[in-house]
Order: sequence, then structure tokens, then C-alpha cells
Amino acid sequence: MISEEIEFAAPKDLQTALDLVGAHEDVTILSGGMSLLPMMNVGLATPEMVVSLNHVRDIDYVRETDAALHIGALTRHATVADDPMIRTHCPILAEAAGHIGDVQVRNRGTLGGSVAHADPSADYLPVLALVGAEVTLSRAGGERTVSIAEFLVDMLVTAREPDEVVTQVTVPKLPPGTVGGYERFARVEGSFPIINVASRLESDGGPGAVAISGGVGPRPIVLDVSPLISDGLGAEAMQRVGDAAFEATEGAISDTSADSGYRREMARVFSRRALEAAAARLRGEA
Amino acid sequence: MKQQISLNVNREEHTVEVDTRTILADLLREHLRLTGVHIGCATGNCGACTVVMGGRTVKSCCVLAADTDGEHILTIESVAGETNLHPVQQAFVENQGLQCGFCTPGMILSAIDLLEKNPDPTESEIRHAISGNLCRCTGYQFIVSSIKDAAERLREHDNA
Repeated sequence: MISEEIEFAAPKDLQTALDLVGAHEDVTILSGGMSLLPMMNVGLATPEMVVSLNHVRDIDYVRETDAALHIGALTRHATVADDPMIRTHCPILAEAAGHIGDVQVRNRGTLGGSVAHADPSADYLPVLALVGAEVTLSRAGGERTVSIAEFLVDMLVTAREPDEVVTQVTVPKLPPGTVGGYERFARVEGSFPIINVASRLESDGGPGAVAISGGVGPRPIVLDVSPLISDGLGAEAMQRVGDAAFEATEGAISDTSADSGYRREMARVFSRRALEAAAARLRGEA
Repeated sequence: MKQQISLNVNREEHTVEVDTRTILADLLREHLRLTGVHIGCATGNCGACTVVMGGRTVKSCCVLAADTDGEHILTIESVAGETNLHPVQQAFVENQGLQCGFCTPGMILSAIDLLEKNPDPTESEIRHAISGNLCRCTGYQFIVSSIKDAAERLREHDNA
């Protein structure tokens, strides 16, 4: 049993949820709860009022338009990993989702919850930064859409106002022919990565980019590597990409899982690997 | 704060009044006496509290009981027949897939979930599928062989 009293509501539609979040001060929004519930169980989070989104079916969807995928915030990681539309138009997002936690965590945790929590190691973040995703924030009176770069303010801090709810993530479709890679480095399967990197590549010789996340700063670092790989994807080009990743992650933090220098070395290695994974797909090998 | 919820547990309807601080694992154990739901860590790591909710395995320590109104839940208690163990349970018994037994309910539910989706998993697929269930006794080897054996039993059962 959680020690502090909680006022709790589980609205069944978005409007009611937004009204509740807007009408009370200091509401804690519960989505999949894969980060919040452990913190409540051990007393690190002591919310007074919890509004659950778990029954708000109108934000559980994956839709497509010509240019983008629109993914409702309540979409569970397992759905993101398996959804045919996502696997077709942004396979690296599906790939990243398939690495989150474990089966049970992916069955319950949500895309919107992960993005709103803004843990810098979250598997989604480098992919969303790489493709230029947008986050829709709704309040009782309306909604606004911000880029993922604007949304992520600092570690665990976002541009969401207290009366707003993250309701949708919009992911531009990767153009046909563009391939991607996703690589993560973690101590054991299921733990948050020390470094995670997403990559994209249009052809041998670029353009291409990598996005590095996981304790390297408040938000993923996106590197346009096109000038570094203009003479092809050989060993030297890959080394230049690794060096650029090392240089770009100067602000990497030290914590219990890795110190700053080690993180930067791993940024070097995993940026290269992520780009190599994309290159292999370009060659039709994976 | 108390709230009344109705949920279906192991194919029976229940209406219960819960304190909003109660986690699903405690509701199942304390109110419904389904003590096969084990709580190892209460931080979503160990998976001993795994139950099936709406057809998907979840960690019941990380779900608020008050958030389960209208849900359909299956626990380890629903798995065996009246006289026979479930083939996955039988395979665990015969392959020594358990020692102390604490992780076993969650392990079995994750294994059944895997085999429903993938009747012939590789060793790697098995290990990925149970990565959310920690065991401190077996070193996993006998659990993996239990699940392999269970897969064979279920395939034979389906072909029979």
C-alpha cells in the first residue's frame, strides 16, 4: 500500500480528463505508470491527486496522413512496436519501442507517458528528435503543438503546463528509400540505456544524421553527419562520425551507471554502430 | 479515499471497495486472497506479481487497483485444470524449472503468454520473453528448458 492518501479519478473520455486536470491544482497525470507507480510505491512520489488516462480510449490510436503518423498518447509500447503503419513508415520508432523495459512494461507503458516523463535515457527520444516529431498538448480550452526540441526543456522537465495533457505524438514518415538504425547500450536487458542512438541514411554518401541520447544532455543531440560521409560509408567515414559524436557529447553527465568520459566513448561507438546498422539496411542486408 | 470498482478476476465478477492507495497486487492478495500473486520488489523489476489484464501480461504492483474498473484479469490461480496442472506448469515441475517458487507464478504466466504468441520459440526468444521475470535460484537454465519442453507439449497437444 502506498503511504500517502490519494485522490483518484479515471475519466473515460478526453474532455473529462482535461476538465479534471484543469480544475485542480497540482494534478499528477498517470498514464501507463511504469515510472510513476514504482516511485509512489517507494515514497519518492507523493501525489495528492492522480488523474489516470488509462481509460481515455480516444487517445489510443495510430492514424496516418500523407506526410505523418499521428499516434495517440495512450498507445502502449507493445502497440508501437507491432503496429504495421509504424513499422512501414518509421520502423526505427517501432524498433526503439521493442527495446523498452520488458514484455510486461511494454504492455502497459505508453508513448505519451514516456515522452511526458522526459527521462533522457528513454528509448523513444533519439528517434523522435532524429525525425523531428511534434508533441500535441491539450487543455480544456484548446491545444497546441510543439516540436520535440521545444518540448524537452531539461532532464524530466518539459514545456507542458500544469493544466495540459500530452495527447498526441506526430511522427513524419521517413521518405521512401531512407533507412534508419537504433542501437542502445545498457548493462542488462530491461534497464535504461547508458547511451542510445538513432540514425538515418538516404544513400551511400549521405545525407545522414544521428541522434544521441541517454545522459548526454537534457535532450538528444542531433548531428548532421552528411559532410562526414560524403565520400561513402567506409571505415574512415565511420571513424569521423564516431569522433564527431565524442566531440558533441562534451556535456555528458556522470552517474552511477557511467562516468562522463565513458559515456562519451560509448557515444562514439554506438553512433558508429547505429549508422552501420542503417548502412546494412541500405545494402539490403538487414 | 475509497472507491468502488467492479472487475472480472479469473472469470468471476467482483465488486470491491478499495482504498485509492491500493495497488492491484494487494487487491488480488488481500481482498480476493489470490496469494499466488507474489510481490517481490514493488518497483516493476522482478515480475513476480505478473498477471494477465485485458489479454496482456502486466506487473500488478505497478497498476493502481482503483484504475482497474471494468478490467478482466487472470492470475496464476486460473491456469490449472481441476485435476491437472497446465502443460507449462507440468513442464516446470518435471524439468526443475523452480526451486524456491517465488518467481514461478509470474514466470509461468510470461511463458504461457509467449507460447500463445509463438508456439515454437528459440532459446533467445524465450530469454527475451522472460526478461521481465527475475529468478534468484535457478540461473534460468532449467526455466528455459522447461519452457522449451512446454512448447513441445503444447504443440503435441494441438496436433493430437
